[in-house]
Amino acid sequence: MEREVNAYKCRKCGTLHYPFRMVCKNCRANDYFEFDIEPLPKRGKLLTFTFIHNLPAQFEVARLGLGIVELENGIRVTGQVDIEDPTLGMDVVGNVEVVRHDTYDDRYGFVFRAA
Amino acid sequence: MAVDLEKILRPVDHPYPPYPAKYMTLASGETLVIRQATRDEVPTLLKHVAPLVFVERDYYDLVAARVYAELLGWYHHRMQDEYVLVAQIDGELAAIVNGRSVSPKRGMSLHTLAMRRGLRVGAHAFAAKMEYHIDILGQDEVLVVAESPIGFRRWMIEYQLEEVFDTAHELGGVPSYSLTRELFDRARNSLVVGRRPVPEDLLAKAHEAILPPSDPPTPPADLLAATRAKYDATGSALILQRWAQDRSAEDA
Amino acid sequence: MRDVYIIGIGITTFTRLEYPLSEIAAYASMGALKDAGVTDVDYVLVANMGSARINNQSALASAVVDTLSLTPAGAVRIENGPASGASAIKEGFMAVASGMHDTVLVVGAERMREVNNLEATDFVATLTHPMAEYIYGVTLPGHAAMFTRLYMEKYGVTERHLAMVGVKNQNNAMLNKDAHLHQKITMDGILDSPEAFTNNPWVAEPIRFFDCCPVSDGGAALILASKEVAEASGKPMIRITGIGQATDTLAVHERPEPTDLMAVRIAAQRAYEMAGITAADIDVAELHDAFTILEIAESEEVGFFEKGTGHLALERGETAIDGKMPINPSGGLKGKGHPVGATGVAQVHEIVVQLRGDAGERQVKDARTGLACNFGGFGNNVVVSTYARED
Repeated sequence: MEREVNAYKCRKCGTLHYPFRMVCKNCRANDYFEFDIEPLPKRGKLLTFTFIHNLPAQFEVARLGLGIVELENGIRVTGQVDIEDPTLGMDVVGNVEVVRHDTYDDRYGFVFRAA
Repeated sequence: MAVDLEKILRPVDHPYPPYPAKYMTLASGETLVIRQATRDEVPTLLKHVAPLVFVERDYYDLVAARVYAELLGWYHHRMQDEYVLVAQIDGELAAIVNGRSVSPKRGMSLHTLAMRRGLRVGAHAFAAKMEYHIDILGQDEVLVVAESPIGFRRWMIEYQLEEVFDTAHELGGVPSYSLTRELFDRARNSLVVGRRPVPEDLLAKAHEAILPPSDPPTPPADLLAATRAKYDATGSALILQRWAQDRSAEDA
Repeated sequence: MRDVYIIGIGITTFTRLEYPLSEIAAYASMGALKDAGVTDVDYVLVANMGSARINNQSALASAVVDTLSLTPAGAVRIENGPASGASAIKEGFMAVASGMHDTVLVVGAERMREVNNLEATDFVATLTHPMAEYIYGVTLPGHAAMFTRLYMEKYGVTERHLAMVGVKNQNNAMLNKDAHLHQKITMDGILDSPEAFTNNPWVAEPIRFFDCCPVSDGGAALILASKEVAEASGKPMIRITGIGQATDTLAVHERPEPTDLMAVRIAAQRAYEMAGITAADIDVAELHDAFTILEIAESEEVGFFEKGTGHLALERGETAIDGKMPINPSGGLKGKGHPVGATGVAQVHEIVVQLRGDAGERQVKDARTGLACNFGGFGNNVVVSTYARED
């Protein structure tokens, strides 16, 4: 099964939100949970990135790539970046994988690689 | 026939090549010289290590006590193939690192004791120690353990040391980590620095005298406060603290 | 609304403090009470971010008010991330301005060194978006790094500019006895010598070790009072002239322009509007330089310099203690230290010291007005406040 990261689409005005929020940013519609789930596209452009060398204890690696990606539909997401030598604006494609082990649980999220 | 007991007790040191001194610029703009200490210098080192035995933070007490014992062991010929490197700023003692050779192919890192903090002096001295084992002594690996969280972060994570948990380290018998030649080569560019040869005046200054550290770590201002902070309802930590406090009062 | 004055200040040294958190808060408070010459207050606000998590103590305000024997005064703990300090000042301001209370103790305290650095980093990282940021391993240095990279690309800020902020602030801290870092650093040592990049390693590319503030313990406290109480105290009359607060999206990636610190700009506008002044009227400022880039970016967003020119003003020396717009004479978070809950209060502590003319070697000449910017989250909750000496 291919995993997805979901965006939330307002049923009233169609605005897409990521991450989840309970009230639409655009029309402030206040009907509870009036959002449709819509999987985010996987391709996009790398807006900025870093390699973190000083990580929380759960990460047993020396450095971790992170970046902000603007996806094809204009939504931006934060994700891990598994690219040796990234450049600003490069095309990337995301895959949904385990990004963090949290005591007993695995957390899934985007890992981006060069497209 | 009289038995020469000392001859039995005293190990024979192997002839290992000496560590070539190097120097580097610190973040403060000061110059750090790292060189090998001689046995004659041990009493001076002991004098500067001793006060740290009573610094109850960051495991200075434990590390200083063990370094003190290892220095004595070297001085009295009770430890085989041990070496000591000192890091000095203008003659002033900034760090002591030591280790020994278990075999021609395997080194054992003992301690890193930094007297100046916030300038990576300890990290530079540790790197020099690893350089000695791998590059100068030509060993394939160095066994390392950490006694403090700071050490763990510096060595195990920065160098990404391998776990060799089937081997007990000489410090406390705990499972070892290993710095292999391959890991050292990977860290070489980012973590191992220094220039050689050391300009003569710098080296002469370093050899002239090991001056006392100007700003060594000191015990917590209020020893009892540390105890209160640990919610010591039974008062057993308090007894230990009082003893330490009385002792430092006697010294003064 | 009544006018509100600061009549007492107190601070602990910022360093590693081996005291219970409530005693750190109490120590700073005792200094402020003594300075103001009062023994009683109506209301106590305790700013703190992590007591329940890193010190295993909740309801900290009850402990502090009790340690100080100020019961039965009302007491509340304010937790608002790294902006907790200024948020507590704002609540204290409102309590006095509304006429509800006449004398309010605002104290910020944090004891982060009780846990190791890895845990402290993770603890601060919990202020990021739990599902869209935290799970990926985002840390505050990580956010600052992604922000720095864009700033470099867009405005031509270089590593040298970042290092200049670090050198300036850490050397300012040498003049501040309560600062955490009393360690001179030089451009040669952190940028130019062959060993510089080992001395100053990456924390999160492109930011380095000396671009980040240290993890500190410490406390700072203020006594806020109404005009009548302030006049009776005989202390210099330092008035809180404006306070503005603004928020932005929790997830940084949702902002339309990632190099824009909208919340800083709006909070500053709100403060200026309330005070009836502009950025040009400020004599001295304490900005939230948890990372060196933030001093540059905030100096633009609060209106001292045009957007994209903060680093040029820095190059010209305008932000030095004797410059045109002195920033962080205390050493800032970079040199003085950053006990998160205490920081917002400590910034105002420094402004009061400056406006009183008590700053000694780091005194900004003829300082009559000051500004503090306390930056919470990664720019998602910001408080800017302005101060003026009126006597």
